[in-house]
Amino acid sequence: MAKSLLVVDDSATMRKIITRTVRKAGLSVDDDIKEAGDGNEALTRLEEGNVDIILCDINMPGMGGLEFVKKVREDPTKASTKIIMISTESADELIDGVKADGADGYVTKPFTPETIQKELTPYM
Amino acid sequence: MLKQECFAEALLDGAREVFETMMFMTIDDTVEEGTRIQGEALLGSITFKGGIEGCLAVCCDMECAKTIAINMLGMEPGEDIGEDEVADAMGEVANMVMGSLKSRILESVGELNVSIPSVVTGNELVSSLGEDSGKIDMIVSIDEMPAKFSLLYRDAAA
Repeated sequence: MAKSLLVVDDSATMRKIITRTVRKAGLSVDDDIKEAGDGNEALTRLEEGNVDIILCDINMPGMGGLEFVKKVREDPTKASTKIIMISTESADELIDGVKADGADGYVTKPFTPETIQKELTPYM
Repeated sequence: MLKQECFAEALLDGAREVFETMMFMTIDDTVEEGTRIQGEALLGSITFKGGIEGCLAVCCDMECAKTIAINMLGMEPGEDIGEDEVADAMGEVANMVMGSLKSRILESVGELNVSIPSVVTGNELVSSLGEDSGKIDMIVSIDEMPAKFSLLYRDAAA
């Protein structure tokens, strides 16, 4: 069954790149990939329902990715929703910290389609 | 403080990683002396603060910026692209190059917090951080179009 995706990034260009990369990777995802420009908008998209996997940037105006992960994990109804962070940040402490807060995976920008595919495949 | 040559090498390596991975474009740093960006240009910049503080900027003319954006978005050459999309792409380029640079210098300079990128349009665009700052201006060729990477930095305590 195709998975429903939500891409969260303040850059419309990056949202398009991620969406295109996911489609090119041949993963089984819904045609309608949802998008949000920051954590607040992403929470609204989540309330609208039907999101299996979130691909989320960290450094965003408004609500950033770190706060967003914590908010999602505070909600027990979203416990099965997978969260993959996609960021230019590559410090081990930050990656370990956001995973401890509830992120399921982490991709560093710049990324290749293979990296996205490898990170998403276990949840497809 | 890291030596200027170390920053320059890290900046060039980081920029190459971004352009080769995300845009499939090559950066050549052996350009003719006196090469400059002419006409209307776009400048994407991002500031950073921590062990050192400063600003990284990427500047190129509109044609180069459009080509970068088209490659980033996987569009066909010559395909129509909006000014907003080109500007957004330039901001993301600055963001990713900063990320690549940061991963290369983090151990030496300590923590670095980066801002949200910003983009401006104009002629003869330059970045400045004051007299007490170090500055690297690197003119390169991106798929045979001139572009400039600038890194301005100073010790955080300055």
